[in-house]
Amino acid sequence: MTEIAVQVDHVSKSFRLYHERNQSLKSAIMRGRTSVHEDFWALDDVTFDVPTGSTFGLIGSNGSGKSTLLKCLAKIYFPNKGEITPFGRIAAMLEVGSGFHTELSGRENIFLNGSILGMTKKEVTSKFDEIVEFSGVEQFIDQPVKNYSSGMYVRLGFAIAINVDPDILVVDEVLAVGDAEFQEKCLQKFRDFRTAGKTVILVSHDMGSISTMCDQAAWLRNGQLVVAGPADSTIKAYTDSFSTGSGDPATSGDTEG
Amino acid sequence: MRYLKEVFSARELLANLTLREIRGKYKRTIFGQLWSLANPLALMLIYTFVFAFIFRVRPDKGDPSGLDVFALWLLCGLLPWTFFANVVNMGLASLVTNSGLIQKVYFTRIVLPLSMVASAAYNWIFEMGVLIIALIIVGAWVLPWIPLVILIMLLLAIFAAGVALMLSIANVYFRDTQYFLTIILQLWMYLTPIIYPSSLVVAQSARVGGLFGTSITVSDIYHLNPMQHFVEVFRNLLYDNRFPDLGEWLVCTGWAVGSIVIGTIVFRRNERNLAETL
Repeated sequence: MTEIAVQVDHVSKSFRLYHERNQSLKSAIMRGRTSVHEDFWALDDVTFDVPTGSTFGLIGSNGSGKSTLLKCLAKIYFPNKGEITPFGRIAAMLEVGSGFHTELSGRENIFLNGSILGMTKKEVTSKFDEIVEFSGVEQFIDQPVKNYSSGMYVRLGFAIAINVDPDILVVDEVLAVGDAEFQEKCLQKFRDFRTAGKTVILVSHDMGSISTMCDQAAWLRNGQLVVAGPADSTIKAYTDSFSTGSGDPATSGDTEG
Repeated sequence: MRYLKEVFSARELLANLTLREIRGKYKRTIFGQLWSLANPLALMLIYTFVFAFIFRVRPDKGDPSGLDVFALWLLCGLLPWTFFANVVNMGLASLVTNSGLIQKVYFTRIVLPLSMVASAAYNWIFEMGVLIIALIIVGAWVLPWIPLVILIMLLLAIFAAGVALMLSIANVYFRDTQYFLTIILQLWMYLTPIIYPSSLVVAQSARVGGLFGTSITVSDIYHLNPMQHFVEVFRNLLYDNRFPDLGEWLVCTGWAVGSIVIGTIVFRRNERNLAETL
């Protein structure tokens, strides 16, 4: 086995399903409690390793826990049990352009967004030209971003995020941004990433892009890991489960086997 | 300690968020930064009219400065108060208004309320600068006291930051906090000697004597208000031009340290759950 980039060790994450939620002080006092809830396990004892230098795909149907896992990887959620250990700098791209201030110019937003994503001013300055070039908004860089088209907005956000230059990049279905030309640029960037020996973890529903981009994959169902391993066999197992009707849709539960 | 290091390493982000706040605030206005003076000036005019002209409130002359200008006397207390109120209001809302960011990106969350403190402080420094110039023009000997003014400003900022941290968390769980705060701040302002001198309270309290047969007087309770001590120190330095009582310094420092310690602990405990709770 090669080196490990991220170790996901028996990770469980529960959310509270509220039957009653008293978010105002009055109702909390009147009812004598802040909430009535039961736990819903969005992730249940998930364990796998992501090898260094791989492009790792997370697949599964809606509500299978992919996004929760991604948010745990991005340190936005914290698992109730288990641990996620990254070996290297991790950067997450769950939404592009979050934290943009619409009244500020593209230039100011690059610095702002870069620092939100954990870059130092020096890093942003040195990558500034690259970011602007990649986004293709050179002409409008000193305009407030509220005047940007939605495509420009997203491209700028993506260009900043991809230039954070982490060891491990976590991506949520943001590949579907921009026109075909920009998408090709993004794919190229991911390929560069891989040749540089860096790790990409991504979530997508598009089996085509998963199978072309990923060499490793993990399949989640109802918060549990079904299988993790080489992409081809995992995807095949996942798609096969549709035809046999054993795994999906999620409502069928644990009827398999 | 590790937490402090983490916060310290996020100082660039803090600076950038503060700049976002400052730059974004007066974008597309004609008067820009001058707007931050408009609110205190309007308050000054109306309070001076009502309390100095109609009610005839007569604060003691500045001792030893000899100043006798109600408007300036008022501003020495009003500007610290409006800063405090701004920090608490903006800090409280900072987590809820940035919920999108919190749910999508990982960063040290504490920079959100702290950036509000910093951007309010930016405006405040501007206002205080104008006030000091005005004081110098009417003949107050302020210059030697400026280092101590900066020190008390720092203490007030720390005190306000602690309160803002606590309330920002409270507001995530109970959105009532923001409405509650509006009322509290209004009451609090009148319980602080901003538009009247605290000597009036002391005099009235001496007349009433101990409350309900105890030796506790109104003035004792009145002095529990930390803002009363802060305002007193500001007035001593700026208006009277004398060194405030050492006891006042200790009380202010105590409140500042207590507030920031509790605020940080509360914030840290709840920081991890923010993304889910929002």
